[in-house]
Amino acid sequence: MNSSSATTSPSVLERGLHTLREKGDLELYANVFIIGIAVIFTLWQGTGFAITLATVFCIWAILSVSLNLVVGYTGLLSVGHIGFFGIGAYGMAILTSDTSYELLRTEAIPQFGWPFFAALPACVLAAGVVALGVGAVFNRFRDDIYVLVSFGFAIIAFNVFLSWRALTRGAFGIHDVQRPSIGGWQLTGDIEFLILCVVFLLIAVGISWFLVSSSFGRVLKAIREDEQVAQVFGYQTTYYKLAIWVISAMMAGLAGGLFGSFTKFVDPNSFILLESMLLVSIVILGGLASIRGSLLGALAFVLLEEGMRFLPFLPDEFIGQARQVVLGVLLVLLMLFRPQGLAGRYKL
Amino acid sequence: MTDVRSYFSSRSNLLAVVMTALVVAYIGWKITESPDQALQFAFNGMSVGAVYALVAMGFTIVYSTVWFFDMYYGAAAALGAYGVFYLRSSETLGGLYEINNPIVNGIFALVVAGVVAWALHTAFYYRLRSRFSDRTLRITGSVVAAIAGLYAGIVLTYPKELHITLSPVVAALVATGVVLICRTAYIRIAGSDGLKVPTLAALVVGIGLGLFLAVWIADSPGSKLYLSWGVSCFLAGVVSLALYRGLYVYMRERARSPLVMLVATLGILLAFSALIVIVFEPTPRPLPEPFGNETMNILGAAIKGFNIFTIAIAVIGFLGLTWLLKMTTFGRTVRAIGDDEEVAKVVGINTTVIVAIVFFIGAVFAALGGLLSGHDTAIQPRMGLLLLLKGWIASVVGGIGNLQGAIVGGFILGMLEQFGIWDLAGEWRDVVSFLVLILFLSFWPTGILPRK
Repeated sequence: MNSSSATTSPSVLERGLHTLREKGDLELYANVFIIGIAVIFTLWQGTGFAITLATVFCIWAILSVSLNLVVGYTGLLSVGHIGFFGIGAYGMAILTSDTSYELLRTEAIPQFGWPFFAALPACVLAAGVVALGVGAVFNRFRDDIYVLVSFGFAIIAFNVFLSWRALTRGAFGIHDVQRPSIGGWQLTGDIEFLILCVVFLLIAVGISWFLVSSSFGRVLKAIREDEQVAQVFGYQTTYYKLAIWVISAMMAGLAGGLFGSFTKFVDPNSFILLESMLLVSIVILGGLASIRGSLLGALAFVLLEEGMRFLPFLPDEFIGQARQVVLGVLLVLLMLFRPQGLAGRYKL
Repeated sequence: MTDVRSYFSSRSNLLAVVMTALVVAYIGWKITESPDQALQFAFNGMSVGAVYALVAMGFTIVYSTVWFFDMYYGAAAALGAYGVFYLRSSETLGGLYEINNPIVNGIFALVVAGVVAWALHTAFYYRLRSRFSDRTLRITGSVVAAIAGLYAGIVLTYPKELHITLSPVVAALVATGVVLICRTAYIRIAGSDGLKVPTLAALVVGIGLGLFLAVWIADSPGSKLYLSWGVSCFLAGVVSLALYRGLYVYMRERARSPLVMLVATLGILLAFSALIVIVFEPTPRPLPEPFGNETMNILGAAIKGFNIFTIAIAVIGFLGLTWLLKMTTFGRTVRAIGDDEEVAKVVGINTTVIVAIVFFIGAVFAALGGLLSGHDTAIQPRMGLLLLLKGWIASVVGGIGNLQGAIVGGFILGMLEQFGIWDLAGEWRDVVSFLVLILFLSFWPTGILPRK
């Protein structure tokens, strides 16, 4: 293929594709475009709506940044991340919700009544502990098989949420999850919650940035490029992979805790396998091995859903599906023309 | 003896043996506890396992040829099931969810036209180029493809008259089949095809049989359900072929690793499953009963006739695929491509065509599995992904890339699932199968029948 393109002069299409692949201009355009749409959107819809949107964005951004640590920096294509998100959300729901209102006592679950800021570290820890066990088993798998077993983790987690009724109330879901409060000051307003989410997002991004720019991150990249070489140089790659997996899962648990508190209602349908696949596509869309890219991808994802509401011929109930179609087509196109994603540093 | 000792000296082998012994002991204990129920569970496991085996076989033949995971398989399984629902929606629940969308029909007609154009081009263009002008060939090909697309559109637009619209196709297929079989048998027996008389006789018999069948099918509306199976399997296969030829060929040239293909096909699966939800609603739907609802009693266990039919289809599919891969020239080329695609190209195999046909066959198997499981339970948009994963697990359990392994793995996975949920509730079925997967991968990564 290369020889034929070397002998004949490149066509317009080929030159265009070359520019697209080699230069970083696309990244800049995408940044400007997506953020521009976000600004226009805010101006148009008013602040109340924008606050909700921004909170959703923060939660998805924490998730996608954390997944990028595993997929982009370490090269383990995990499709099971939504399981940790779900553990966080359910942890928050079970620990803080007040279930005394339940009429159907048979479906009542144990009550803890913890405050938000005590429950959040518990969620993070729970996700971390589960990740430690799961990661110890998953560490030996690679490539395709890793994808398959991570699918398995997502499905097992979903089934546990759905079927362990004594703890999760199954398909009924858990209502009245608490909003945070500091001392006597209740953070019930949306704007306060948004500030909290932004703070946590900054913390997550900071930790990720610190990790990937330290020597620890360089070892991760070495594992991604060639695990055996990293082993030859004396690094215990198993521990590195386990460590980043647990850290990433803990961030997902944090996002889950925020999500549970934000929606005030948790049920298994938020943690289906499909959501996990969408999450992976956000990370790949935004860019592998790039924290900025993950933020961009999450922003594009959130805006895509809301932007679809303005399509005149699309009924409201199909917005989620239409977004899924767009993401699927984008994935195919990206894999064809730009396998590192919009702002990525690593080609899959 | 030393072999045995060295086998057991490996810790993971020892663990594998211990786990297998534990599972066998558990199942044995359950069987002694209540043999009747165990037999019932075994039958259920067989009928579920037959579906997994079908999906796994389609999956294996593709995977062992191109060596990447094609996630479109899930969509193919869902397309197979939803195709039957689409064509038979006027009969299901008294036409409550009747659906016939001109856009969908148009898209499938276009896909069929494109694939027919490609097939004509690959089959005839280079042979006839010396005899006819380029323009004649192109125009003829386009016209034939357009007619084929139009025909597909008509078939999809009038699903109530399926038995009439499809009777010419059945006639043509039967006639071609009879002629080909007679010719092969004649060449095998007589050693040459010099004589004209037997060929003519086969032609007459074939056309006669085809016409008779066409008239008979056009006269029997009860055959519509079975014809719709054929149509939906064909459509799933055609979409797979079109995806391979139109997309995967270019993507494989660029792809750095199999993961790229996996992610791209994941995108295709996402798009397809969303489109299925848009066209049909997300709620589960039933399919019409194929053979009535009565159950048979075999040794005290109740089993539906349809489940036996499913198992039979899986076995027939396995035998057919084995024959195709081991006995025919096509099978030899497929295995050659699986061994080394570059070398296969060098020795003059048109790999694009062969792999495209493999994709067609694989998707037909997936669609068959999807529609059989849809008849058994109900159809829902996410069934495709679950069936794909189950087929994937079955092929890992049986030994990845091995056809015998696929069918054995499918049946074993079905059995293990059924016996696993004996003491739990039925909703833990998926958990059981993924635990089986993780155990197998940890302790027995080659599977039961490893590929040589």
